[in-house]
Amino acid sequence: MVKRGLGIALAASVALSGCVQTRQYADVQFTPPSGDYKLLVLRPDVTVGSLTTGGMVEPRADWTDQARHSIVEALRAQQARRGGKITIVEHRNEVPGVTAQELADVERLNYVVDQSIVLHKYLGDYLPTKRGKGLDWTLGADAVKLGQKTGYDYALFLHAEDSVASGGRIALGVLGLAGCFIGFCAPNVGGQQQLDYASLVDLKTGEVVWFNVVTAGSEIPGIKFGDLRTPEGAAQMVDRLLGRMKPGKEAAKGVVMTPEPQEKR
Amino acid sequence: MCSRCLELTRRSLLAGGAATAAALHAGVAQARVRPQDMVPLVGPGFKPTERDEIGLWKEMDRVEEEISGTNLLITDRNITGYLRDLIGTVGGPAAKDFRIYLARIPEFNAMMFPTGFAVVFSGLLLRMRNEAQLAGVIAHESGHFLRRHMIRSWRDQKRKTDLFAIGAMLAGVGGAGAGVYLGDYVQLAQLGTILSLFQYSRAMEAEADSMGARLIADTGYPPVEMANIWEQLIGEENASARYRGKHRRKGSIFDTHPSEGSRMADLRADAAEITVPGKVYDAHRDRYLTNIGPIRPMLLDDQVKLNDPGASQYLIETLAQDGWNGLLRFYEGEVWRLRNRPGDEQRAAQSYAAAVAYPDAPAEAWRSHGIELMKQGRSAEAKSAFRRYLTIKPDAPDAAWVRSMAG
Amino acid sequence: MKPEPRGALIAATLALAACSSVGDDYGGFSDYSAIRVQRVNVGDDRLSVVAPRPWNRHRPVLFEDVRAVEDWTLNGPLLDGISFVTGLRDGKSLIRQRRTTSQQVPIFRSNMTPPEIAAMIESLYRVRGGAVDFRTVSLQPRSFLGTNGFQLDYEHLDDDELWRRGRAVGTVINGQLYLVLLDAAKSHYFDAALPDYEAIVASAQLRR
Repeated sequence: MVKRGLGIALAASVALSGCVQTRQYADVQFTPPSGDYKLLVLRPDVTVGSLTTGGMVEPRADWTDQARHSIVEALRAQQARRGGKITIVEHRNEVPGVTAQELADVERLNYVVDQSIVLHKYLGDYLPTKRGKGLDWTLGADAVKLGQKTGYDYALFLHAEDSVASGGRIALGVLGLAGCFIGFCAPNVGGQQQLDYASLVDLKTGEVVWFNVVTAGSEIPGIKFGDLRTPEGAAQMVDRLLGRMKPGKEAAKGVVMTPEPQEKR
Repeated sequence: MCSRCLELTRRSLLAGGAATAAALHAGVAQARVRPQDMVPLVGPGFKPTERDEIGLWKEMDRVEEEISGTNLLITDRNITGYLRDLIGTVGGPAAKDFRIYLARIPEFNAMMFPTGFAVVFSGLLLRMRNEAQLAGVIAHESGHFLRRHMIRSWRDQKRKTDLFAIGAMLAGVGGAGAGVYLGDYVQLAQLGTILSLFQYSRAMEAEADSMGARLIADTGYPPVEMANIWEQLIGEENASARYRGKHRRKGSIFDTHPSEGSRMADLRADAAEITVPGKVYDAHRDRYLTNIGPIRPMLLDDQVKLNDPGASQYLIETLAQDGWNGLLRFYEGEVWRLRNRPGDEQRAAQSYAAAVAYPDAPAEAWRSHGIELMKQGRSAEAKSAFRRYLTIKPDAPDAAWVRSMAG
Repeated sequence: MKPEPRGALIAATLALAACSSVGDDYGGFSDYSAIRVQRVNVGDDRLSVVAPRPWNRHRPVLFEDVRAVEDWTLNGPLLDGISFVTGLRDGKSLIRQRRTTSQQVPIFRSNMTPPEIAAMIESLYRVRGGAVDFRTVSLQPRSFLGTNGFQLDYEHLDDDELWRRGRAVGTVINGQLYLVLLDAAKSHYFDAALPDYEAIVASAQLRR
């Protein structure tokens, strides 16, 4: 795992450009929610940190709070445009109908599922049995129970990371990768790294029906992309992340189906 | 095998791998801080007024929120109540209202936060031999916050970083912010890193030691127990390292609490200075053992199953200084069995045999004893031991297998 | 400081992908190959099994894997996995480790009884797997590969705060350990994989 991570990181560093890339995966029969739906947004997991000279990311409390606030506002505005009722929950005990523990259990499973999706869809460590199936992961019965108890149709889990180069990094402008083991550093690839992903869970079936990753990287330190801490930057990220939801493969072909509860494993 | 095994080189709940260790301030001898000079700088009802300290407290609130929601807390009210009372007694003026979080982590550590809560790791409860020692650790940690070391350490770290060069990015930020964000502990693995975030200088450690000694002495505990704690810790570290043939393991308490020989001497001097001749001090060993007793098997289990034979053996032998019993002999056997070097199986067998001779032998001792007898070909005795196990614990998880062996 | 693995590698590898597409997964180095629904050899090739539907087999990475151990998964190893131990010898451990590591996974001994094997598995999870709590649910005799083997059921809480469940069916033949183990998230994934697992265990045959 260690060697492979290095391999991928090194091979890809050459190809990094200053573009914003998004990559969506959807359940093959997914159609984006519209009309009168109830969406639960759980404790947006937001971090903004500083990229130090050594390539480490040190989360910054104040920046994080700013970004969190901006993102929440942007989310409200964006979802308001789509119709549907959105509830953004900051603390686990804020959702009527379920206990904090029940919510925590779903959150934790979702976190691991999201990690798996990122690993096996985005990092290239794909699972051959999932080829051609779009998005093939579920949170199972616990998510369905959550939906039943709370009355929500969808749950959105949001993870946003942003890091800004410190003064030292700008001065050095170093390009390249610090020796990385998984879990202990960030790549030295430039000024700002923004990684955001969102997963949408259909609470009627428990399945992850839509997943998107946005990454914005600048090779030239000092040039910033949509700063998450600002309302504009946050709105931009939310729009990239959620605004361009595309239907899944079969739905796109014009075969409109309501997602059926499938045997997902 | 085991999905996460290849990804983790070592489960380290303390240092989290990336936390920089506090430098062992080499060379400069630290002048001893006199206990009578240690007065609290923080009283009950204290609230920060400076911006960065306010920011720091906000982060601690987030930490508390995450900790209180973790799966890993021991919530037994008897134990947490006992800890709360203890903290209220030696934690300084504000500590009576502290919230206590006892985390099931088999490492030695504890921390008090000025926002009003304390985190104690279960490994601490295993290693303390009496109430005075436990009080000593708590008092030491309260020393850090009563003398406002956290905010000082925070500010020291800020000065060291290069964050202030980003003038434009800081513009409009309410509050200067701080170097490290504490509140984002989505995962348990990071729980331990909160305890390594405050890196105390050698001078701060001296203050905390001194204050701690004073606090416990005022309560009636023998202040020399403070020195004993560190001696035990050092002994454990050395035993663990010696077994592996190398130096002290990474991610230990010593990364954040620099320890030198002179510190031991200082602690003993502190103790001597504040011990009032003729006053009666009591370490309350029995009271401690009674209160911790119910979870001791679990604590030993967690420790032994880490399979760090040097440290575990040292701990068991230290606890056995208060007298061997069935529980300790059983876990001694477990240490050998898990270590599994040539000759260890025989040692384990001897320990199990010794364990079952005590009235407090855990049921598992009978089962393990039976397994060893079986391997030695003494099958009648083995079956008898298995039957004894099943009598004590008919619903044991492995009862079905043992039953098939008991004949 | 908070470790941030995903940011690093995601940023690095996304360059390989087209922008803003609802796409499929091509490209990238995958550690996995598909197992077809037919009899296949596993691990050291001492054992063969048949899966009722395709699973993903983890390709061994040099230096890190023990030859006698093979891992499969359906949804990714963080969520579910079946591991095969095929003829692990006396003196070997289930996973590679440095001798100088202070916390060691116990090695297998030919004279181990099922409780001792169960304890070895428990140590594996506690010492290397990030388990902060491990509970044995049951240990019972079970016939496996035509011998008197055992079945171990367990649960563990890991440092990602997720509870996982496991079942291991094993036996010792000629002093070597044979084991088929299922480990998966307690919520949904274990139950979902269990029927496949039982079918695989039932199909297991020793190869000569």
